[in-house]
Amino acid sequence: MTKRSPQASMGAAELSALLAKAADGDEVSFRAFYDRTSAKLFGIILRILIERSEAEDVLQEVYVTVWRKAAEFDADRASPVTWVATIARNRAIDRLRARGSRPSAPLDEAMDVRDESPGADVIIDTASDAGRVHAALAQLEPRHADAIRSCYFEGITYEALAAREGVPIGTLKSWVRRGMMRMRQGLETGV
Amino acid sequence: MTGEISMEDFSTDETLAMDFALGALCRDERRAAELRLRSDPAFRAMVEAWRADLSSLDDETPATEPPEDLWANIAAEILPIKVVIVPTKRRGLWNSLSLWRGLALGSAAAAAIAIAQIGSPPASPAGPPQLLVAALAGADGRPLLSAAYDPLRGSVVLTPATQRDDIAGKSPQLWVIEGKNPPRSLGVIDIQGPNAHAISSKQLIGLQAGATLAISIEPLGGSPTGLPTGPVVATGKLTAI
Repeated sequence: MTKRSPQASMGAAELSALLAKAADGDEVSFRAFYDRTSAKLFGIILRILIERSEAEDVLQEVYVTVWRKAAEFDADRASPVTWVATIARNRAIDRLRARGSRPSAPLDEAMDVRDESPGADVIIDTASDAGRVHAALAQLEPRHADAIRSCYFEGITYEALAAREGVPIGTLKSWVRRGMMRMRQGLETGV
Repeated sequence: MTGEISMEDFSTDETLAMDFALGALCRDERRAAELRLRSDPAFRAMVEAWRADLSSLDDETPATEPPEDLWANIAAEILPIKVVIVPTKRRGLWNSLSLWRGLALGSAAAAAIAIAQIGSPPASPAGPPQLLVAALAGADGRPLLSAAYDPLRGSVVLTPATQRDDIAGKSPQLWVIEGKNPPRSLGVIDIQGPNAHAISSKQLIGLQAGATLAISIEPLGGSPTGLPTGPVVATGKLTAI
């Protein structure tokens, strides 16, 4: 099997151009877009859903949606990767909510996972946005950072997470919102 | 670090945009926010800014290659389905079959024309696509036309093996019969001229070897009932090649 070129090797401008061609019905460009983004989206969906065959279903749905909505993508407003990743995340979370349960780990276990995350195969450049976000989250109380990750990766609501953590919803909201502001500050100033 | 961050630094809208982008709102709140997203550009800009910030978290998630055949499923759903009529000058069925093989390899000159009509094929990482073909013959066994369905490209190509001139004022209609289900229409076709027809891709999903294709002669525009009403002039089983 031939190894595909690293997905990160393609910039936002090129991905935007492929999406624009896909919007005109060019399936070859869309295939190229798929080849360069599908592993990232599959990773995101799999992290949310855990169950592999369900994640494959959702990935398929996501690309059908992307193909149909390609004309709505506006490169001035969002990066193509963020745009498709948002669609992927929303679809995965919709599926999760429809299912009603998830093989989920309480935050204590999630913290163990967090210690290994980013994993060995994910190298985060500390000068990159991801590195800055990671650094900003690392400065928070671990429980607060994990609350953000739970919302983001599990699609869990404030209400449900507060119940799970046994804290008042106001407390939880304040953890998450302060953490998010820190994260943004980190991105703006480069912690 | 900068000093203590105060919640008061953020407007109610900004907080809502943050909660929404994070995905932490309950269903009713989320619906309300989705409505605002469509009608309020300023709010949408806030949400998009938070989404962009949060997307950095996705970089913590390892990329995972999806299965190789997933693209074929996507292609079957999205790519336009076209029926391309390729006239062959009364050549035998086996010539037509070799044309399909040519299509698969993209080598024969005739195939090049057909491919140009279908649109360039996506590169296949999983080897050549599996083509399904059917030789449709009349009750007397005379081949009438052959059909090929390419699941990867999502197209059906029909090639008349003989010309028929007794169907003026009528519409030949293509059907698929799967197991014991009633015939399902794949639409009215033109077996006379080299025209391309679009068939809804949904109709072709799941088309498999073993299904029977049939052509009936219907009133202009196709069967009024949704089932064959006129004489069935040709049938043939789909076979994988």
